Formats: sequence, structure tokens, C-alpha cells
Amino acid sequence: MLKSLYARLCSLDLGLWLLALVMLVLAAGSFSRGSAEGAGLNEMPLLLWLQRAPISFSWWLWLSVALVALLCLNALLCSIEALRSKGRSIAPHLMHLGFLLVVLAHLVSACGGFKQQLEVGEGGSIGFPDGDRVRIERITTEAGPMGMMSGYRADVRLQGGTLSGVEPNRPLFHKGYGIYLKHVELTPAPVALLEIHREPGALPALFGALIFTAGNLLLLARRRGR
Amino acid sequence: MKWLLIGSSALYLGSLKRPIFLAALLLELCYLALRGLGLGRLPLIGPQDTLAFFSCSIALMSLPFIYSRELSGQRGFFWSCGALAALFALLALPFPTLNMPLPPILDTYWFELHVALAFFAYALFGVAALLGGGFLLRGNRSFLDLQYRAALVGYSFFSLSMVSGGIWGYYAWGTYWLWTPKELWTSILWLFYSMYLHLRVKGQAWDRAFAWIGIIGFLVTLFTYLGVSMLLRSSHSF
Repeated sequence: MLKSLYARLCSLDLGLWLLALVMLVLAAGSFSRGSAEGAGLNEMPLLLWLQRAPISFSWWLWLSVALVALLCLNALLCSIEALRSKGRSIAPHLMHLGFLLVVLAHLVSACGGFKQQLEVGEGGSIGFPDGDRVRIERITTEAGPMGMMSGYRADVRLQGGTLSGVEPNRPLFHKGYGIYLKHVELTPAPVALLEIHREPGALPALFGALIFTAGNLLLLARRRGR
Repeated sequence: MKWLLIGSSALYLGSLKRPIFLAALLLELCYLALRGLGLGRLPLIGPQDTLAFFSCSIALMSLPFIYSRELSGQRGFFWSCGALAALFALLALPFPTLNMPLPPILDTYWFELHVALAFFAYALFGVAALLGGGFLLRGNRSFLDLQYRAALVGYSFFSLSMVSGGIWGYYAWGTYWLWTPKELWTSILWLFYSMYLHLRVKGQAWDRAFAWIGIIGFLVTLFTYLGVSMLLRSSHSF
């Protein structure tokens, strides 16, 4: 009985059904109130949101998480089985490994992520859990040819006295946190809208993506001309 | 400048021969190059620019298939690639031209790479759907083999687009993933083509289903690109 269960768990058919079900659940979820951007899903780590949100909002995510967990198990067992038999290409299994790492990265971020938004004026400072503070020294903007704001920047002084800049797409990473400049206002007084993020899954996700890409390139090379 | 787009659409619609198809593509590339030179960046913002870029991507990604040995003389296929490219070029015309500079958050190569790769992938999924149609109409298995190749390369572009989008998101917003309808449908599309590529292992008994799934995949692609922007509220759309 255990053998038959194992065979089912690593079967291609199960993988295909799970892929189809995850797609259906995500598609249904995309039309639900829970996925609307006003539902706060992007404002906190996923697991915290799942604990707080009513089930009428979060049912599709609970279902997706369960199905993706099964899909991961299926991918893992499928790769183990395939690698046992000699002569198989490693490419699809690198792709499976990359996928598993990306899912794991999401789980890590869902548990240990952090996000906080704050408005800080020139001379104001941001405190970190270990008591460290960074101070906003100067807020500046650039205007483009059409008069629209084409760039903005906040100069930040770290505890040790080092001066660094934060700009759109150029966050400042400090003590495991990223400081992101979202917007600035110069009147009546210069104010920067900052977001502090901690995304512990970012590095594993990148690593997973690189492994997936390596597997994908290998697969493309193998399939060339076939 | 829109006359270049109109001209290329007309040529695409008459592209029963390869040189006509090439001329249409050349005109469309000129249009995009002029737009790009005027803007000082890739024209990838707003419905007009993205539809024109998508149309051009379809033509560009069709080229290896139009010139493949297996499809030489398949004028119906050349024409259908041209018609698909013309459809999106014509759809671009009614939309206003947006000449604004890039907002600071979009002003990064990661964004341009993310969007360009996504459109190359969408285009290859479109070509794969046409090849699936070719198989269902003619029963020629080389159409199906080429459909698989188109979808596999498209899937690779799409995966790279997701990676570059994640890197951009991390630098722009502090996270490589946001829960928006666009990202949900992006995941659905990626899972769909993951399923499609796995189905290949099922063998020849699944050939017709395989061809149909390649066609349905392009409908999912169109919903991800256009449907989400039109029907769902998402900050992550054109």
C-alpha cells in the first residue's frame, strides 16, 4: 500500500492535476475580494495575513498553499526517482530544484518578512530594533524637461557617520533591512516617504532562480535541433 | 509616424511570401526605433507602445519558423503569423501616444528587460498557438514539434522575465513578489506552460490535446496581458 502511495505521489499524472488545480484556484482567487490590493495582502508577511484575514478572503490562498505543498513533494519525489535511473539529463531536475528553492524562499519571507512605512522630514531619524538610528540629512528632487519630477533622493547619515543616498531603485541596505524611498514632498517642508523592508527570502529566491535558469539553458541546449 | 504602423499592418496582411513579411517587419522596426529615439528609451509604456512592441515581437519571433526547412512553402502559416502581427499593430492605432518620460521607479534596465522578455515570450506562445492550429488542420507532425520548440523557448524567456521582474521589484519595492492580479495571472501562465511542457512526456496519444493546449495557452497569455488590465484592478498593468 505504501509503495502504491509513493508511486502516486511521484507520478506525472498527479503533477499535472496539481498544476491544473493550482491554476484554477489562483484564477478564482484573482477575482476574489481577498486578492484586491485594498485587502492588505501586500502590507504584511503572508502568514500573518492568513492568520488575520477572514476565511472568505483567504480561502483561495489556503487552498493554493496546500496544493503547492503537494506539488513540491511531487516534484521532489519525481526528481529523486528520475535521478536513480542512470543516463537521465540533469536539466529538468535542476529546474525542479530551482522551483523548490523559490517556493521555500516564499515560505521564509512569508514567516520572517517585515514592512513598515513612515514619513520622515529632514533632520528626522529612523530607529532599528538594536537601537541603531539613521538620520535623514537632506531631501532633494530633480525636474525633467516637462516639469515633472524625474528623480528624487534622500541623503542618509548612518550611526558611524557615513553618508549614503537613497533613490528610487537604489535602496540602502542596513543591518538586514532595506530602506526604500517611495516619494518625497518639498512643501511645506521636505518630507520623505520611506519604506523599511526585510525580505529574508530574497537571496534563496535569487539562488533558486539561477539554478532554474541553469537547468532551463541546459534543457534548451539538449533540445536544440530535436 | 503612425503611417509606418499602418503600412506594416497592410504588408503583414498581404504576407504570403517571405520578402513581404520581412518588409512589414522592417517598417514596424523603423516605427519602434523612431519612437525609441524620440523617447530615449524602449517604448514599453501604455497600450499603444506595448501593443506595437507585441506585434513586432510576434513578427520577429516568427522569423526562425518562417525560415525553417520543415515549413518551407507553408504560405498559410506565413500569412497567419503576419495576420497575428497585423492584428496587434492595428489594435495599437486607436490608443493615444504617451510621450512622457519614465517615472523614476520604472527608470531601470531591469524593468525594460522584464517587459521586453515578457513580450518575446508572449509572441512565441502566439506562434506556438498558430503551429498548433497548423497541426490540427494539416496533421503534419512537424508543426507539433515546432510548437513544442516555440513554447519551450517562450517559457524560457518568460521565466527570465519573471526573474528580472523579481530583481527589479526587490530594488524598487523591497520585495520580489507582490500579490496583485497581474502577478497571479503571470504565475498561472507560467504554471500553464509548465504543464504543457510536462504533457510532452505523455507521448503521441496526446498529440491533439497537446496542440489544443498550446492554443489555449495563448488565450491565457492574452488574458494575462490584456484581460487583467481591462477587467481586474491591478497597480501592475499598463
